[in-house]
Amino acid sequence: MSTRKISLSALLFLLVYVVQEALVTQLHIAGGGFSLFLIFALLWAALSTPDIGALTGFVAGFLIDLSQSTSGAVGQWTFVLILVGFGISYLGLGYENVRMNPFTITLLVTSSVVVARVMYVLLSLLLGEKVGSFISIITSLLIGALWSAAIVPILMPLVARANDVIDDSRHRL
Amino acid sequence: MARGSENRGRLLLIILVITSLFLITLDLRGVSVIGGLKTGTQSALSPIQNVGSIVLSPVRNFFSDIIHLGRTRSEMEALREENGKLLTQLRERRSIDAQLEQLRGALDLAGKAEFKVVNARVISQGATTSFTQTITIDAGSDNGIRPNMTVINSYGLIGVVKTVYPSSALISLTSDPSFRIGVRVAGSQQIGILSGQGTRKGVLQLLDNQSTIKVGDILVARGSVNNRPFVPGVPVGEVTSVDNAAGAVTQTADVRFFANFSAISVVSVVLKGPDVDPRDALIPAKPVPTPVPTVTVFVTPSQSPSPNSAGSN
Repeated sequence: MSTRKISLSALLFLLVYVVQEALVTQLHIAGGGFSLFLIFALLWAALSTPDIGALTGFVAGFLIDLSQSTSGAVGQWTFVLILVGFGISYLGLGYENVRMNPFTITLLVTSSVVVARVMYVLLSLLLGEKVGSFISIITSLLIGALWSAAIVPILMPLVARANDVIDDSRHRL
Repeated sequence: MARGSENRGRLLLIILVITSLFLITLDLRGVSVIGGLKTGTQSALSPIQNVGSIVLSPVRNFFSDIIHLGRTRSEMEALREENGKLLTQLRERRSIDAQLEQLRGALDLAGKAEFKVVNARVISQGATTSFTQTITIDAGSDNGIRPNMTVINSYGLIGVVKTVYPSSALISLTSDPSFRIGVRVAGSQQIGILSGQGTRKGVLQLLDNQSTIKVGDILVARGSVNNRPFVPGVPVGEVTSVDNAAGAVTQTADVRFFANFSAISVVSVVLKGPDVDPRDALIPAKPVPTPVPTVTVFVTPSQSPSPNSAGSN
């Protein structure tokens, strides 16, 4: 990967991170809202190779860990997103009908958001943190999944376009 | 060739996973570099969040209006007749009025209890990536705020200061699943532990198995040593249902917090608690039902006109 690709990707990730932290968290959205940055990172990973997917997960997870609204241990989201980032890109790699179909990409990213959050809860429980009642977790996961399913189709063309420009490749989305 | 690339990919994955586990270990061991990174990020983001808060103020109200569409429908219909400029001004004005109202309520409460407070605006709410219930305010250590200080608003207890940065602070809300507070039932003086559940509802567990509580009982903070993290007497919530399970050692109850956590825009951080415990003086007065005047109408039947007199007219 060239220095140009790395710096452009890093800049884009920082931009989305700042938008998430400074703007999205300010909106009083029903059901706790969504994490634009998490959706963006998983979408990016879904359009990448497994190596890049894991690296994307590492960077995105570390940034989420540094967020003031994340109360868990630093490294928790990093660990979760490395695995999910690798997994989502690995799943899409061998199946061109997955990667080239907006519907399957939406399904893949939405389910990855849910899987990542479930893994985070399980890791929090293993580390002895309080995660709230079962009902509140299920509600939050469901609403998060609905928001993700709504946001991914909107974000997908932009992310695919940015990925194309940075990666100098074409995704037929 | 492809096999070599696959091996390299696996090696990268293993290195990244080990690095993340290393980060978790460092953080759990309290290494200051990790904490410094988090503080640095927050310090860098705080000014941008402040700007975002101002810019998004009308939009935030718009989302709030959508959530409460039924309640604000009549207001929206009236506002539709206004022109665009007036609409914008009105929305901005409503936002400021709501903040002023919340600020006035918080100051009234703090004044009644003789708390020394610093007021702050909420600049962000906890993200969906975390299952915790937190808010960030635009005042920090530069304003005298320290960790473990009580945070209140006009309705009562909001939470406690968790982390302090120079110009902002992270508040753990009373609804947070990890939140525990010692409370006292106003009037009967029974004590118990109230736990957050991730929603506006909390669970109270009484400490004494001889104690009993009932629906409608008001809970106030019991207070901590040196007033940190909790100053005494701050209203917390109201008992909504009591669990009278036969096998339970002590009674438990569901409690509805007074504060509406989804609509907080201004809060007060208690810098110094009262010299004397205000006891039950801060409990909000129960609404007095407005008397409805009863009108009694006495009707005396008049004599029905006779056919003859009707005919004469």
